[in-house]
Amino acid sequence: MPELHPQPEADHTAPAPVGHRTVGTVTVDNPKIAARDVNVFYGEKHAIKHVDIDIGINEVIAFIGPSGCGKSTFLRCLNRMNDTIDGCRVEGAITLDGQDIYDRELDVVQLRARVGMVFQKPNPFPKSIYDNVAYGPRIHGMASSRSELDDLVQWSLEKAGLWNEVKDRLQQPGTGLSGGQQQRLCIARAIAVSPEVILMDEPCSALDPIATAKIEELIDELRENYSIVIVTHSMQQAARVSQRTAYFHLGDLIEVGETEQIFTNPVHKLTEGYITGRFG
Amino acid sequence: MSVSTDGHTVKRFDQQLASLRSLVLEMGGLVEDQINRAVQALQDEDIAAAREVVARDHVVNGFDVRADEEVVNLLALRQPVGSDLRMVLSMAKTVTDLERIGDEAQKIARMVTQIYDGNSAPNARLLRDVANMARLAANMLHGALDALARMDVDKAVEIACGDEELDSEFQSALRRLVTFMMEDPRTIGHAIDVLFMIKALERIGDHSKNIAEYVVYLVKGKDVRHVTIETLAAQGRNGS
Amino acid sequence: MNQASTSPRGIQAIAPERRLGGSMHTALVRRRKAAERRFRAYGAGALILSLGFLVLLFTNIIGTGASAFRQAYVRLDVDFAAAELSPDGRRDPETLAAANYPGLVKAAVRAMFPEVTSRGEQRDLQELVSSGAAFQLRDQVLADPSVIGTRASVWVPASALLDGLLKGSYDRSAPEAERRINDRQIAWADRLAADHRLELRFNRILFTNGDSREPEQAGILGAVMGSLFTMLVTLALSFPIGVAAAIYLEEFAPRNRWTDLIEVNINNLAAVPSIVYGLLGLAVFINFLGLPRSAPLVGGLVLTLMTLPVIIIASRAALTSVPPSIREAALGMGASRMQTVLHHVLPLALPGMLTGAIIGMARALGETAPLLMIGMVAFIVDVPGSLTAPATALPVQIYLWADSPERAFVERTSAAIIVLLAFMVLMNLLAVILRRRFERRW
Repeated sequence: MPELHPQPEADHTAPAPVGHRTVGTVTVDNPKIAARDVNVFYGEKHAIKHVDIDIGINEVIAFIGPSGCGKSTFLRCLNRMNDTIDGCRVEGAITLDGQDIYDRELDVVQLRARVGMVFQKPNPFPKSIYDNVAYGPRIHGMASSRSELDDLVQWSLEKAGLWNEVKDRLQQPGTGLSGGQQQRLCIARAIAVSPEVILMDEPCSALDPIATAKIEELIDELRENYSIVIVTHSMQQAARVSQRTAYFHLGDLIEVGETEQIFTNPVHKLTEGYITGRFG
Repeated sequence: MSVSTDGHTVKRFDQQLASLRSLVLEMGGLVEDQINRAVQALQDEDIAAAREVVARDHVVNGFDVRADEEVVNLLALRQPVGSDLRMVLSMAKTVTDLERIGDEAQKIARMVTQIYDGNSAPNARLLRDVANMARLAANMLHGALDALARMDVDKAVEIACGDEELDSEFQSALRRLVTFMMEDPRTIGHAIDVLFMIKALERIGDHSKNIAEYVVYLVKGKDVRHVTIETLAAQGRNGS
Repeated sequence: MNQASTSPRGIQAIAPERRLGGSMHTALVRRRKAAERRFRAYGAGALILSLGFLVLLFTNIIGTGASAFRQAYVRLDVDFAAAELSPDGRRDPETLAAANYPGLVKAAVRAMFPEVTSRGEQRDLQELVSSGAAFQLRDQVLADPSVIGTRASVWVPASALLDGLLKGSYDRSAPEAERRINDRQIAWADRLAADHRLELRFNRILFTNGDSREPEQAGILGAVMGSLFTMLVTLALSFPIGVAAAIYLEEFAPRNRWTDLIEVNINNLAAVPSIVYGLLGLAVFINFLGLPRSAPLVGGLVLTLMTLPVIIIASRAALTSVPPSIREAALGMGASRMQTVLHHVLPLALPGMLTGAIIGMARALGETAPLLMIGMVAFIVDVPGSLTAPATALPVQIYLWADSPERAFVERTSAAIIVLLAFMVLMNLLAVILRRRFERRW
């Protein structure tokens, strides 16, 4: 049988060498976050290798790649969640609006308020729905009165598309909601502190397709006001929600490009192999 | 995690793609045969053979329907992306073009029955251009299918560029026909039949060019339809 | 495919009787089921055995100790003669306290048996009533001086001799020389009983008195108070310190050689014999720091040392069981480490910590050995009123009474054990209730 699929370009043969140069355009005009030559080590393990990438304003960028490729690790670098892991070392420069987020002077608490995060498993606090959303504004002293806080909670829940479902039971525990509602509650909780960037670590992996669709719709709406970075195992999801897609492989950022281009005509052989399901 | 281009993790996906592709190539072979037989019937003045060609068009249409079904199934069940998506799309489009080529072959065969049905056979000079163009068109289709079978971008670019020759051949044949008709108005009836035939052959060339262009899209991911010859040729040069 | 034809593979290679449903397979299934049944039977057997021992222990203790909750009382017609109590007519407490109450008791007893005159008989007669009767009359007069000048019928504790007779400790048919109570005394007792002047009543003394050489006067209040003060000190010190240490180790400390070392040591300390803590307490708190001996303060300090590792380990386990997603959520919101711990982790871990602490406390409550080393084993009659007053603890009291030969002390030993067990059950119940109360789903 003759060769069924196109031959790869000669320059991008797998496997990617260490310090691999990313294929595609990593930069954007006027980036929100710019990462340059980022390396992450877990002890001796070199988990992220020389990654350069920009994250634009009001864009959704998806990180895809096989398990253990470092996409989640890299995501966690962007709000310094890796700080909490022992033996994790980050090198290189990551700037948020031109300011180095690994600067010793920078307050990590402040950073995490600006760069919010939504996790794989919906993890509402074991408190009421209201307290879940009000927690961030409370610790950051954002509301001067109870009524202001009420407004903020309502606004966040509306923004997360959850208000109509929970407005009559704000005092009930957030853990009593369905999985999809819990995840939207987590999104409401994240946007209550008005972040500039929202990081989402496989936000739909624990949800059914309907709940997933609601979250995806929400992501699309949120794009107007926030930069969103989403790590996902579902390529269809990356294709549906993102404008740009970045493909990670064994700690290397292999390819970055417009989502349309990545899913119709990926340049690198590894990207092609991954998105078409050819990993053996 | 090893990477292989041998096939998908899901083997059934590979089988489906392969079966679609062989279906299309088989259909291509059938269509090619249709053209050759129609032209042969013209040369042999064989009305029976021409009728046979006309009758066989429904087989081509059957291929068209089957291939479309497979395309729809692949899209619905496998959601192909990347090269798989391009593969499925170019196959779907190739099928459409092949079906049209089949129609053109049927048209030629009809003309053959029409021409030799009357009392007077056409002047041999009128038919000379038909034979010439038929050879060119059949070559183009053959080349395009060949390029498709072997994923040969260079060959595809060559075929796509070759359409110019067929077009200019059509133009000069047209001029000659006009000349004949002005010389001897009695030939007008046959000349118009021949005109339809060479027009059909010219269309076959266009469809073959399309198929060749799909090959370029399939392999390189670049849409080379409606671009200049130079851009098209450039694809071949910096290809593999 | 073609391999199957040359050499049998897969299911083909399995002999028919070994396939699912084949004869050998059926036998295997039967054996497996039998093994499973046997295993369950072993478990149930072990459970029944341990339950049996527990029942044996309880019946033994309760059987011996139950009688201690009742005590023989004698009804005396006491003449609170003014001339006897306050000859000078003054009724201030000092005068009243100094009055001759034993005389009152003796007079009342004599009045019941006017026919007894000889000195020997008199002595035997007075042995029927406890020396505590005089104290009871004194307390009665001090509490209500208006009884002076009246005659009143008063129930006073009988002596251990009468108590034992009523509870059947003495064999009436045995020769007189072989029992502690003589025939005369038995006759009097029977007369008293017939007059409804002698009966078993609820033993209030057991719960209101401190220790005493006289079994009918001995109570556990002193020991209970001593234990209470000791536990207060232990709780006040070990819970905050233990929880703080656990939080630091679990949430803040870096994982390195030093914290590993500390962890290993904490685990080892939990297994150190408690007497060692007693020696440590003796050396450090009493000899070096000069704290008072036999004091609940020192006892509490020693038990704190002993309980700390237990509480730290339990608290760490409770902290570890809090899902990391909660911490991530809080940190991701921009909460600081401390806010994360105080707002989210601690409330979730608290039930586990409380359970650990209460179990640790229950262990400390039952601990004897370290208290022996720091002198809480002394014979102390007074009920302790402060952390530095000499005191003893319940388990030590049990140990002390268990040493005494009198029949009445044997039953009191069991009674004290029952009280101690009741406290343990109460504390465990409290642990369960607190758990239920604070436990929240996530």
